[in-house]
Formats: sequence, C-alpha cells, structure tokens
Amino acid sequence: MAGHGHEEAHDETAGPKVLAVSKVSPKVRTIAVVRPSEHDVTYLEAARKGLGVTLRHFMKNFFGKRRPAEALAKGEAVEPRSRFKPAWNEIETIQYPEEKTHYPERFRGLHRLMQREDGNVRCVACMCCPTVCPANCITIIPAESDDKGVEKKPAVFEIDELRCVVCGLCVEACPCDAIRMDSGVHAKPVENRGDAIMTRELLLGLSADVGKDPQSTATQGGEGPDWRG
Amino acid sequence: MSDPAPTTPPPPDTVTLTIDGTAVTVPKGTNVLEAAKTLGIDISAFCYHPGLSIAACCRQCLVSIEKNPKLQPSCQQTAGDGMVVRTTDPQSTLARKQMLEFTLVNHPIDCPICDKAGECTLQKLYFDHDNADSRVDVPKVEKPKVVDLGPHIVLDAERCILCTRCIRVCDEVADSHQLEMINRGDHQELTTAPGQRLDNPYSINTVDVCPVGALTAKDFRFTMRAWELDSTPSVCHGCATGCNVEIHHKNDRAWRLVPRLNAEVNGHWMCDEGRFTYHELREGRLAAPVVDGLPSSWDKALGTAAEKIAAAQAGGGLAVVLSAQAGNEENYALAKLATAWKAQVFWTARPHRPERADDKLRDADVNPNTAGVKAILGGAADNDAAALEAALTAGKVKAVVMLGYDLPLSEGALRHLRELDLIALASHERGPVKHAAVALPIAAWAETAGSVTNRDGKLQRTHAAFPPPGQAVAGWEAVVRLGQAASPAAKLTWAHGRDVWKDMTAAVAPWKGAPWGREVRPLQLRFAGSRG
Repeated sequence: MAGHGHEEAHDETAGPKVLAVSKVSPKVRTIAVVRPSEHDVTYLEAARKGLGVTLRHFMKNFFGKRRPAEALAKGEAVEPRSRFKPAWNEIETIQYPEEKTHYPERFRGLHRLMQREDGNVRCVACMCCPTVCPANCITIIPAESDDKGVEKKPAVFEIDELRCVVCGLCVEACPCDAIRMDSGVHAKPVENRGDAIMTRELLLGLSADVGKDPQSTATQGGEGPDWRG
Repeated sequence: MSDPAPTTPPPPDTVTLTIDGTAVTVPKGTNVLEAAKTLGIDISAFCYHPGLSIAACCRQCLVSIEKNPKLQPSCQQTAGDGMVVRTTDPQSTLARKQMLEFTLVNHPIDCPICDKAGECTLQKLYFDHDNADSRVDVPKVEKPKVVDLGPHIVLDAERCILCTRCIRVCDEVADSHQLEMINRGDHQELTTAPGQRLDNPYSINTVDVCPVGALTAKDFRFTMRAWELDSTPSVCHGCATGCNVEIHHKNDRAWRLVPRLNAEVNGHWMCDEGRFTYHELREGRLAAPVVDGLPSSWDKALGTAAEKIAAAQAGGGLAVVLSAQAGNEENYALAKLATAWKAQVFWTARPHRPERADDKLRDADVNPNTAGVKAILGGAADNDAAALEAALTAGKVKAVVMLGYDLPLSEGALRHLRELDLIALASHERGPVKHAAVALPIAAWAETAGSVTNRDGKLQRTHAAFPPPGQAVAGWEAVVRLGQAASPAAKLTWAHGRDVWKDMTAAVAPWKGAPWGREVRPLQLRFAGSRG
C-alpha cells in the first residue's frame, strides 16, 4: 500500500531519525515525524488500485464459471493456475444455507452437555468450568441431587454463547466429561442478547439435534477402581 | 551446633531448641509444632488444632528428634531445652508421606463435588507432599454418605480421616458429648453418640475444624466453591460479644461467616446463630430514599427532612434516637448533630434474650454496640426505651430522627410515633421505618468501614466487604448529608470514616488515641491456603 509514506523514508533497522538528544536525560530524544506525502493523502493511487480489484471481480463473476458445489463442500484446494484454466476464473460464492462451506477439522461449535445412562445430566456442578472460563460465560447454580451417590447437580446451567470465546478450556477442566464442544453448529443469530444464552435443557438436547451420542462412556470420577461396585 | 553464647540469659520460663538448624526460643510448654511455626516451618497435621486438646492420632506431624530412637508427633512433643529437631530429614519426610498415602487409601477423592475443595488440608498436603498416583487397587471401604447429623450439619463418613477434631470441639467448646467414633481400623467411622444429635449452639465449628469435607454446613453446602470467595475481616453483629469473623463474600453478597482468631474475645470459635446473621444483609433492605412511602431522590428526601426538622426544632420538640444496633461512627455523628440541634437524645436496642446466654460466647444482649452508644452518650441509662416512651406519650415530641429500625416500644407509643414526623436512617425497611415520613438508606454492617464496641468495652474495627445496595451510603455519611441540609451551621464536613473516627476518639474518653489502622482489602481465598 502506498498509504504509509514512511516506508521509503527510513529502513526498519535504523529506527527513527533522531534530531536531538536531551542532555539531562539521554533517553528523551526528539525524533523526526514522518508524515505521508501529498501524493499519498489524495488517495489517488489507492483509489485506482481499488477500482482495479472491483473491475477484476466484476469480470470474473460475469464471465467466469462456478466451481462445482461438491468441490466447495469438500474444501478442495483451488487448482493450480494454468494457461487454459486459470483459478481466478472460478467463482468462490456459495449458495448458503443450501450449500455449506468446508470447516476446519478443529472447528468446535456450540457446547453440549452429556447425559448419564438414565438421561440425567452428567455435570456435578463442581464449578471447574466457570472458574477456568476466561470469558465468564458459564453460570451454574448447584443443588442437591436426589441420587445420593451423585450428591450435587446443576439446578441452573447456562452458557452465554455471545460471551463465549470458544477456547475449549471448559472441556479441558471438566472432570466428568460432562461438557463437550463438538456439536459443530454455529451459535444461532438472535434478536435479543438474552436469546443467545443456552439453558441446561438446550445444551442437553443439542446432542439429539446434531445426531451425536448424548451419553459418555467415560468412567465418572476418573479411571480408578470402581469402588461403588 | 555452635555455642549460642547469648549476651543476656533467656528468661527462665522459656526454652531454646533447634529446628532444622535454626535456634528458636519459645515459652515453656510450647509444643514442637508451634515452635516450628514461629520459624515459618509448617509441619503438616490433621488432628492438631491450637484451640483444642491434643490427640496425636493422625501421625501426620512426625519429626525426628536427636537422641530419640523413634519419630515423635510434634504436636504432642513439648519443646525442651537443647532439643534438636529435624523436619526435613529423609526419615521423617518419608514417614509423613507414607502417613498421607495411608490416609488417602480409603478417601473417596471426590473433590469435584466436595465443598471443602480449595480449602482442604488433605488436598493441600497431597500437593505439598506426595502428588503421586494411588498404589491401591482394591475396592475402597464404603461408609454412609449424606448423613443428617443434626439441624445444621451433614456428614460424609467416607471423606472422614478420623482426626477427631469435631469430637473435641463438641466436648471442649460446646461442652456436649454428641459425636463419637465407632468400630476399628478401616471400618472406624464418625457418628453421633447414642441417643444424641449434633445439635448444640456451637455445632458449625466442627465444619471449620474439619480438615476434609466430611462435615459440611447445610447453610453453605453447595452454594459456593471456597476458591471463588473473597474474605474480609469483620466483627459479628449478632450479640454484644463481638466475635471476630471473616465475611466470605462474592458477587456483592455474603455467603458465610467464619470465626477469626482473637484470643481476647472469641478464641477460634463463634456460635451458629451468629453465623446466620449474614442472611439479614439481603432481606428487606432499603435501597433508595423514601418520602411518604414513595421512592425518592436524596435531594428531595433531604429537603423534606430539613423542613420537618426545622419545624420541630422551632417548637423544641425534636428527638434524636441512637441505636445500639448501629456502629460507633454513625451514633457519634448523629449524637453530634443532635447537640447542634439541641434535641433530646435517646437510645434504643433490641430487647435482651436471656434464654440464649451462656458463659461462653453467647450474650443475652443481642446488640453489638451497647457499650459504644453508652460511651458516646457518656454514662447513659441502661434502658432508655422507657424514657423515649414517656416522652412520646406525653406528646412533647414533634419529630423524631432515628438511627436503625429497632424501637421496642408499646403499641400506644408506636401509635403516637406514627402521627409524628419520623426521619429514619435505616438499612432495612422494617418496623417503624415503613411509616417514616423520610427514610434515608444506610449501609449495613458488612458494607462499610467502621467500628463497634463489645461487652468488655473493646473497640473493634469492621471493614467493608462489598458495596451497599442501591443508593445507600455509610451511616455517618447520611448523617453528614442530613446535617448539611438541615443545619449547615453544625459544619459536619467529614469525608471519610477515618475523619469521624479521628474526632470521635478525641471526644470519647475511653477511646482516646485509638488508631484507625490500615484499610483492609478483601483477600481472595484461593490465595489463602487451607483453612482446615
């Protein structure tokens, strides 16, 4: 870009041009401020470049042909540019939501809560995930469970998906494999911020919605001997 | 060990011993564990508690002592002159590590659902000492879980490590033998004594001393994790004893009170009733100024109050009522304003409850600051409610400025009061405050820095744990605002509780020269280590 004129004014290694050094405190220096040249502030050069890009896209979309939808969905690499089949001659636009683009393997998506064999929530409200959450998006209010072997359950389990930074630390922290981030679905667009808060029931039902097994096979309480028999 | 060669001989009632190569002089009768503590050496222990008798049953504090063939429990070993103690030698380190592994054999390790996690001694020692996987692959011994021991306590016998601290708390603090151990070996478990429940006024102290999560308080169970809480030192406002407490708070509310060591007042303990006083901090609070039953602004409320005060003052019918439920600062500020107004001054308190009194911590006087109000008024009568009642029924009073909401008067006097202009500075919308012409919201005891005076005349500082609700301000600040609106001539210009304290300690003889001390910031419990 031609917008920043200082690139030609000095090289990075030399640092700014020093005009004067304070005698009292040598760290205080007067340096030359590099301002953009008159040619730059008119933005003529940038405008010309931008128009060129727009024109190129127009030509491509007008005369080019679409890539096959399957190729887009699979996320196949753009074919190498050749003389007769240049890659730029293919339109990248996809017809969302009928067609969906390829996602990286490590895409997580919304949280989901796992279930026990009896369909109850696996979470024991240990508060490890709200403790570790850097975005403070998890709210748990614990309560006494009817099952004496479980003791503790979440009366309220809410995740504010707008606050969530999708770091996955809650999954790492969970000692019970009760929370996972593998649903692969986006947070839904909402009109009110409150609608983005996923309640316990929504998080529990998400497994069925995305067709994944809602139950975890991990041993509750770790991999020790099954002392409850 | 070289010759210590002290320039002055140590006092006769002390002994000098060497722990890990460092000489330390302690009073005679001190045990080795406490002597090590003075050097900053924290010998691990479960069953030892400085406020209880010594059982030496957990064997977690074993140390090597020179010329002694076997390892000694440092809690039971009295420090002797010239004793050479080692806490870091391979023999005692291994012994403590093995004791810890032994303790962990049948422990369920259900830290995720255990309320003690984060302040558990066993957890802490595991990280300090061992940090190794279990070598035991036989099933753990099953014991009763979620046992209802009494009105306030739930027991998980599997988590219990059999330290017997709780039994000693019941025996020695509450003087009631309600807990016992039954069976032997790995089947030993804690239970209530025959025909007994864990039901005494000091029962929740067993939860505090429990080094693991075996005993949990129903009041706090499953509400908060220990590591999420902040701790602010304060003083219990449940009665005139003034037990030193820590307020454990988070999200601008208190979640529990736990006792704080003060050998001169409460030792390590406090009563159950005092622990529950924090619930009041959230019930029926006054969060905005109220004029004639409607929420209002501070400006409008102060203006209305100033008019009513001026009207009553002109007729000589202004009465000011101080409260033994409020702290020293607000009482002093209002008393000073009353002098400027030339008003009649009374003080009230909640009625005594002799049935709750014992010779330990619980006092019949359920007011935290009776001694403070008396000191501020300089020899006031014991029961001032009668004088206030007489003045009200005589019809001489036109307006009342009242601190707090406790007014133990007869129905007739309260009816008289309803016809008057009542200006209340109160934290709660209760009793007469509901009918007040003007109600000004003030902070409750946990929300402001201040002080109270206990039954022994001991002046104790409290600290602000969290901000007051809504538009409430500290009591002395409400008095300053009222003074500036109603009588600017009184020149109340305090800007900080410290300024009130400075004037108050200069004016009230018994508190002369008392220091305000450092401001205390809440301490995050996650950095405070184990409490067990």
